[in-house]
Order: sequence, then structure tokens, then C-alpha cells
Amino acid sequence: MSVMWHALQATPLLWLAVTLLVFEGADQLSKRSNRHPLCHPVLLATPVLIAILLTTRTPYPLYAQHTAMLGFLLGPATVGLAVPLWRNRALVRRAAGPLLLALFAGSLTAILSVTGIVWAFGGSAQILATVAPRSVTTPVAMALAAQLGGIPALAAVVVLIAGVFGAMIATPLLDALRLRDYRVRGFAAGVAAHGFGTARAFQVTEIGGTFAGIGMALNAAMTALLLTLWAVL
Amino acid sequence: MAWGTAMIAAIATLLLCQLLGEGIHLLTGLPLPGAVIGMFLLLGWLLLRPGERPTLVQVSAWLTAHLSVMFVPAAVGLIEEGPVLAKNGVAIVLATLVSTLLTMVVTALVFHWALTRAERKA
Repeated sequence: MSVMWHALQATPLLWLAVTLLVFEGADQLSKRSNRHPLCHPVLLATPVLIAILLTTRTPYPLYAQHTAMLGFLLGPATVGLAVPLWRNRALVRRAAGPLLLALFAGSLTAILSVTGIVWAFGGSAQILATVAPRSVTTPVAMALAAQLGGIPALAAVVVLIAGVFGAMIATPLLDALRLRDYRVRGFAAGVAAHGFGTARAFQVTEIGGTFAGIGMALNAAMTALLLTLWAVL
Repeated sequence: MAWGTAMIAAIATLLLCQLLGEGIHLLTGLPLPGAVIGMFLLLGWLLLRPGERPTLVQVSAWLTAHLSVMFVPAAVGLIEEGPVLAKNGVAIVLATLVSTLLTMVVTALVFHWALTRAERKA
């Protein structure tokens, strides 16, 4: 038994299979909840996988090494964010001025508010670098956190929390602000809550979802540029 | 058949952009992650070379649709961050919630204001 276990631990097969199976189970539950943000598959799958690693006494570096293929795909996925921007270039061009102004204001608010609060609580430079990219889509946030000297794993979770919360408050918050233009509502959801905001916006209207997708992609670029500028200065 | 090669070409395009991005990152020391530079390169290339690219659209949409599973291994990495979480967990969660709310309000209000102004002028 122990010999077999060691043999299985030697290749990526075991942990890739376990990860995909647990994720698939979590995804089924998420579907059954009608995609409620609190039932996001990552939110359900992560604690289960952590428990499995702890009970089998598997060191995280081994798990990480064997599941690296999945993380590798985040790179090409990031590059691919250019495609929806290119497809919607006519929409972007038509509202370019207001879009860029709102994007700049939103991106700056995201960075300054999250780092400001963490700093007020006495967070170290490492923690500030981890939370700074909190409003952008996970692959970009992880890459930026790594670049700035933060903790990519924690950045992924921070982004997840922002997404869950953002998707939950979008409708009541934007109703309270009496904003009825779905371009505005979608864009704000995408800038503040990346993929989660975009998924939520698509549940409501097509145009809102499209603008949320534009907001998510533009904000990935804007936040990367702002944080880079910050790192250089 | 054509489908198969178009698919490979689309994947190769994404990887090539990322590779060039990483190259630029390493050569210039530009603190942008290589994949983000790759995103700008792909956007520039798409804008400069007009034409429909149905397969590239499909491949990148597929990748975006499955982002969640790709960052599970990273999220499991929290297993090693116990001390950091114990020390900063509350501040991080609070800051994230407040920041998400503020960002949504500011983005929505600025966009609404600027759109109304621009469309009144037009």
C-alpha cells in the first residue's frame, strides 16, 4: 500500500486528478446554487484540497509542482484578455473619453483604498504588495503581487474575496445610486470585481456584461501600469 | 482538419505573445509581468492586422471561462500562510471589502457623469 502510494506520488497524475475531481464536485454544487457568489467552486474546493493535503501529509511544494500545469495556463489566459477588448473596440472607441476617465478613477481608488487601510492596520510592505492588485483578474493580480514582492497565493484569495463581495453588492449598490444605464452598471462591476462582476452583469443584461468584460480587461492593464509606475518611483 | 490547425495557430499566437512579453520583461527590466506585456502585444497586433479571428476568439474565451480551476493550486498555497493570515487576516479582509465597495461607487459615478456630459455635447 505504502509502496503504491509512493509510486503514485512520483508523477503529476495523482494530484492533478484529485484537484480536477474536487473542483468538478465543487462546480456541480455551485451550479445547483444557481451560481451564487458564496458557492464559487474555488471557495468550496480550496479548503477540501487543503484538508486532503493535511490528512495525507503531503508537502505543499510537491502538490504545487505536480499541479503546475494548471497555473501555467494563467499566462496564455492573461494574453487572451486582449481579445475581448479588440472585439469590442467599436464600443470602447465610442465612449473612449468617459471610459478612460472612469477607469483611471476606479483603478486609483482600488489601489489607494486597499493599501491605505492595510497600511493603517500596520501591514508590512509585503502585505501591501499582496493586496495592491486586488481589483484585477486573478492571473494578473498574482503576477503583479509576485513582481512587487507580495504573496501570490494570498493575492489570489484577496481577489476572490473582492469578486464574491462585489458580485453580491453590485445590484443593490447601483440601485441605491439610482444608476439605470447598463453600460455604467456593468463597467463599474467589471472594474471593481473583475470576472465575478462580469459574470454577474451577464446574468442581468448582455450590454452590461459586455461593458463589465471591457472594464475587467482595461483595469488589468491600468492597474498593471499604475503599480509599475509606483514600483519605479 | 482546418479547425485543428487553426486551433494550434491560436494557441501558438497566445504563447508567442507571452514569450515575447517575457523576453521584453527580462531584457528591459520593465517591472510589468511578461504575460501583461504579451496582452498589450496581442492587442497591438490585432488592431494592426484587420480580419476576423474566430478560433482565437474561441480559444481565449475558453481560457477565460476556466480561469477558476487554474488558480486552485495557488489558492491551496494558503496552507503555508497561516502566520501571515493570523497577523493580517482581519485587516486584509476589511480592506478588501471596503475597497471593492468604494471602487464600484467611484467608477460608476465618474463614468455616469462623464457619459452624460459627452452625450449632451454630441
